[in-house]
Amino acid sequence: MTSTHALSDLPRAALRGVLGVAIVGLIWEALVWALNVPSHTMPRPSQMASAVAATPDAYLSGFLRTLVETLIGFAAGAIVGIGNGVLFSKFTRLRQMVFPLFVVSQTIPVIAFGALVVLWFGNTMLAKSVIAFYLTFFPVTVNTLVGLQAVNPKQEALLRSFGASRWQMLIRLQLPTALPQIFVALRLASTLSLVGAIVGEWFGDTTGLGVLLLQAMYNENMVGLWAAILASALLGTTFYGLMALIERTCVFWRNDL
Amino acid sequence: MSLPLKNVPTADHQNTSPQVAPASTLLDLGGVSKTFGNVQALSGLNARIGTGEFVTVVGPSGCGKSTLFNIVAGLEEPDDGAGIQFRGQSCKARDLLGNVSFMPQQDLLLPWRTVIDNAILAIEMEGMPKAEARALALKMLPEFGLAGFEKQYPNQLSGGMRQRVALMRTFLFKRDLMLLDEPFGALDALTRTMMQRWLLDVWQKHNRTILFITHDVDEAIFLGDRVLVVTARPGKIKLELPVNLPRPRGAELVTSPEFISLKRTLLEAIEEESMKSFQATTGH
Ligand SMILES: Nc1ncnc2c1ncn2[C@@H]1O[C@H](COP(=O)(O)OP(=O)(O)OP(=O)(O)O)[C@@H](O)[C@H]1O
Ligand SMILES: [Mg+2]
Repeated sequence: MTSTHALSDLPRAALRGVLGVAIVGLIWEALVWALNVPSHTMPRPSQMASAVAATPDAYLSGFLRTLVETLIGFAAGAIVGIGNGVLFSKFTRLRQMVFPLFVVSQTIPVIAFGALVVLWFGNTMLAKSVIAFYLTFFPVTVNTLVGLQAVNPKQEALLRSFGASRWQMLIRLQLPTALPQIFVALRLASTLSLVGAIVGEWFGDTTGLGVLLLQAMYNENMVGLWAAILASALLGTTFYGLMALIERTCVFWRNDL
Repeated sequence: MSLPLKNVPTADHQNTSPQVAPASTLLDLGGVSKTFGNVQALSGLNARIGTGEFVTVVGPSGCGKSTLFNIVAGLEEPDDGAGIQFRGQSCKARDLLGNVSFMPQQDLLLPWRTVIDNAILAIEMEGMPKAEARALALKMLPEFGLAGFEKQYPNQLSGGMRQRVALMRTFLFKRDLMLLDEPFGALDALTRTMMQRWLLDVWQKHNRTILFITHDVDEAIFLGDRVLVVTARPGKIKLELPVNLPRPRGAELVTSPEFISLKRTLLEAIEEESMKSFQATTGH
């Protein structure tokens, strides 16, 4: 079965990833050292590591704070997105009325919307999660809808001939059919929700990776800036990788169709 | 929509003597037509299916056989003016929904369900608890040649096995009337012969009425109590040929003079219709 494959492949894939990162880090270190690039232009990875080691608490608490904001926004976006997709697929009128509004909402730059959210919710963790949510729910809605509409009419007819109710049709056929599409959106949403949380933090806060980024920029602290960038990359990549792993376990039948 | 036909107990009957006229009519179709846009698929089709009968249906490709099944399964309404009677009661096609066990032309197995869970799909939706349904299906697996495969997924099965899973799903959904649309279409000749004999066994054991579409004339005669030949589109019944061959039927039957003579009659009728159908679609 493919799901067990996915799991047994995991340590190897992770190892290869870590190895790749280590090699790039070494080359980076060597190049900057060999070409004598000043650290305010391009710092060495070892300098970033020592910057983190000097104030580990700031990075750790920033990482955790941004993680929580991202996860809350992501979860809300995923649930609302899937719910919207289901509702829109069942009620065409509703879709025709509400969907254009969603599209308009998504054309508003997240920065403009962020200002509004901060005025409404203040500089709270909730405000950041709301912005993460705002970036997340739309792709999930669209993909859920597309996935639900891709149901094979013959399969639907077969289930009807068994006397399936609308609920059974949804649970037994439509949602599983849409699952691959939904996961594509969830992977995208995992990255977008992190963007939302970091942008949210730029409107003002005291902890978070976004805050570290902003502080480093104002202080022209190149080493700190790179350290914060790498911390964000670590968070984003881990989250994305986790989603991809869950996808491979849940949508096992897709790989060897 | 209430289903007036539900909960009627399964009829008890004998399949052993096809020569005797069936005790009662299970399904009676009168003047069934079906038009899709400007394509007329069926035109005034009449047919009567007796309780416990095994009726095979042959006809050129595109003549409306699957359309007929969709109507009998309750998935499509025929054009106005059709008369459908099920167990002696007049009804609409949609009243048959859920009262007929239907195996479509493709197996339509759900790729995320294992063999056993695909087999119990219908009875699970009827409300049988999953554990109970699985236990029931597990006992039937050997009979369908699927013993040991319960945990496999459809993409791990051969075409023949997939069709057996679909057949099992159809058998588990216990209804008096079974519609099988080319169930052995994807099988090689050898497997097909095995499956035909097996189906006759299962049919006799489970006392069902079967309406069976096929393109294979040998198969139609070998299995059926009667063969219905459908005309080129728009489809109606061209010929109704009783097959008075003794049961149980063995492999040697296929070479008997009676079988050959039936086959000749059928082939003539089908060829005539196939030519019409071919000329209509190629413009020659
Ligand atoms: N839903 C539909 N919409 C439009 N046309 C249809 C529809 N279903 C069937 N038809 C048409 O009706 C005709 C009969 O189709 P049907 O599938 O019943 O043929 P068939 O006898 O089962 O053919 P085959 O032996 O190839 O399976 C065909 O011309 C087909 O194109
Ligand atoms: Mg067909």
